[in-house]
Amino acid sequence: MGRNLIAVGAAALLLSACVQTRQYADVEFAPPSGDYKLLVMRPDVTVGSVTTGGMVEPRADWTETARANLLAALRAQQAGRGGNVLILEKRDGLPGVDAETIAELERLHYAVGSSIALHKYSGAYLPTKRGKGLDWTLGADAVALGRKSGMDYALFLHAEDSFVSTGRVALQVLGIAGCAVGFCAPNIGGGGQFAYASLVDLRTGEVVWFNVLQTGSQVAGIKFGDIRTPDGAAVMVERLLGRMKPGRDVARALKATR
Amino acid sequence: MILSRRSMLGGGAGLAAALTAGAANARVLPSAMEPLIGPNYRPTDRDEVGMWQQMARVEEELAGSNLLMKDPALNDYLKRLIGKVGGPAARDMRIYLARIPEFNAVMFPTGFTVIFSGLLLRMRNEAQLAGVIAHESGHFLRKHQIRQWRDMRTKSDVFAVLAMGAGVAGGAAGVYTGDLARLAQFGTILSLLRYNRTLEAEADAMGVRLLAEAGYAPTAMAETWDQLIRELDASARYRRKKRRRDWSLFSTHPSPESRMADLRLSAREVTVPGRVYDDGRARYLSAIAPIRTMLLDDQVKLNDPGASQTIVETLAIDGWNGLLRFHEAEVWRLRNRAGDDARAAQGYAAAVLYADAPPDAWRWHGVMLQKAGRIAEAKAAYTRYLAMAPNAPDAPFIRQLLQ
Repeated sequence: MGRNLIAVGAAALLLSACVQTRQYADVEFAPPSGDYKLLVMRPDVTVGSVTTGGMVEPRADWTETARANLLAALRAQQAGRGGNVLILEKRDGLPGVDAETIAELERLHYAVGSSIALHKYSGAYLPTKRGKGLDWTLGADAVALGRKSGMDYALFLHAEDSFVSTGRVALQVLGIAGCAVGFCAPNIGGGGQFAYASLVDLRTGEVVWFNVLQTGSQVAGIKFGDIRTPDGAAVMVERLLGRMKPGRDVARALKATR
Repeated sequence: MILSRRSMLGGGAGLAAALTAGAANARVLPSAMEPLIGPNYRPTDRDEVGMWQQMARVEEELAGSNLLMKDPALNDYLKRLIGKVGGPAARDMRIYLARIPEFNAVMFPTGFTVIFSGLLLRMRNEAQLAGVIAHESGHFLRKHQIRQWRDMRTKSDVFAVLAMGAGVAGGAAGVYTGDLARLAQFGTILSLLRYNRTLEAEADAMGVRLLAEAGYAPTAMAETWDQLIRELDASARYRRKKRRRDWSLFSTHPSPESRMADLRLSAREVTVPGRVYDDGRARYLSAIAPIRTMLLDDQVKLNDPGASQTIVETLAIDGWNGLLRFHEAEVWRLRNRAGDDARAAQGYAAAVLYADAPPDAWRWHGVMLQKAGRIAEAKAAYTRYLAMAPNAPDAPFIRQLLQ
């Protein structure tokens, strides 16, 4: 009886912990390679701590460290692909383009990105977009930015991470210990990452590639890479941007030539 | 048997806790309201530093929002006002004006506040507006947002530990404690809301004090609530509904009536006998003059005739003018009940008797005369309209009519 209970508990632990990514691409998307110029829009990073009661408390120091680590990891990763990267750390960091233009493009992307999240990830699929890969655009504003800045692509990044406090871990231990007396709460949850990356082709204005990364565990205290450390940040960048798949048409053409 | 008696006992205790949590809050005394921060305040506690970092981003986003009204003179005016009633943080706070036709204002944890344009519409004088701004300043000076966050964190921690502990203990004793946990959760939520209402009461008391110290009549805040109550009642009455009265247990703010009563008592406490208090009405009117037509227009178009009419009538307590008469007629025209067309026609006719009647009053006066077949008079009204607004979008059309 006791052994069975532990087996069930272990299965629950395994099932409830996961790392997930799901990417979509424009049908004609070929991952950038060679000598391309990538503009990374100011990354939106927040890191917090999960309180015993389950609230996420933002931590300024962790957020700063994580942001710096992610930027460093991104530079290293893109350099490996041969791209020239310009990272916008402030809205007025691009010569010849004012902060308001960048802000408007960020807001536009937020609206378009939310629409992608809704219709590609949250289940509200659109019949008109079926079989079309990723069919969203930022339009003329993005093309204008490309022309002004001379950049080929813009990358929008958002990352959230949270870590459980000792209090929450203790609560989790109590929940698992309770299994011995018949009150089993093995997965109270807390902590985990949520991130997305969105690549916009500044020559056409189209969103050509989109990826969402989610890691989390329903068991408090299990970690999946800590973006407060350089290694953890590199893992997140790799998970998010490492395996960019080409779009449907490009993939078919590749297969045909083989 | 033992089980049911235990749950009864537990349930009773939970209910008692819930009831205490929901009991009416005592008035907060203005004299007890000392600001908790000084000039140039910067947070040092970890949780507050995190909150400020996030809010910096929020403010950046807000400052670039296209909902903001950028009129420099008006923004300067609001800045001077928060400078008067902002207590020790007067120089640190930022104030933004958003074009949203609602009665509201919000203070953010880092000391920036957003005033809705609907608030400027409803205020009869500077003292009333200063009262609302003083209330918002009170939230910042008393560190309300971080105190509320900490309260929530503590209560959710305690609840989580108790619920888990009770579950495990119940498991060991063979008693199901789910219902008890749910009742405790209910108690936790009620006590959170109660804390929120306490903070609102604090901001009111702090606001009254700041207002009086700045030389404004401290009774202005109670007047504002009186106006709001009448407006909400009229709005509900028009829709044949009753005003929402489910304040009490579940609301984040105290009921308007109890706030008004407390504000009156507090105003009496801080009033210095013999001192002359200013209401700054002339200053206020000249500050909002460039946008007053727009404010009234935004309200009338909300299609809430009960509220709109009450607002116009409230503003007219200080005297009718062409602008108010015109918008009163607009409320009737858009309401379109039986007899409203005649009422509106009379309203436009009354509006144009005032020297400050807006061009649109002459236009609509003309339309109504034309409908009534009084062509010569209609033409005179249209001519007056064109003289006042030669570049109006419909000017060519009206000129055509006149030929």
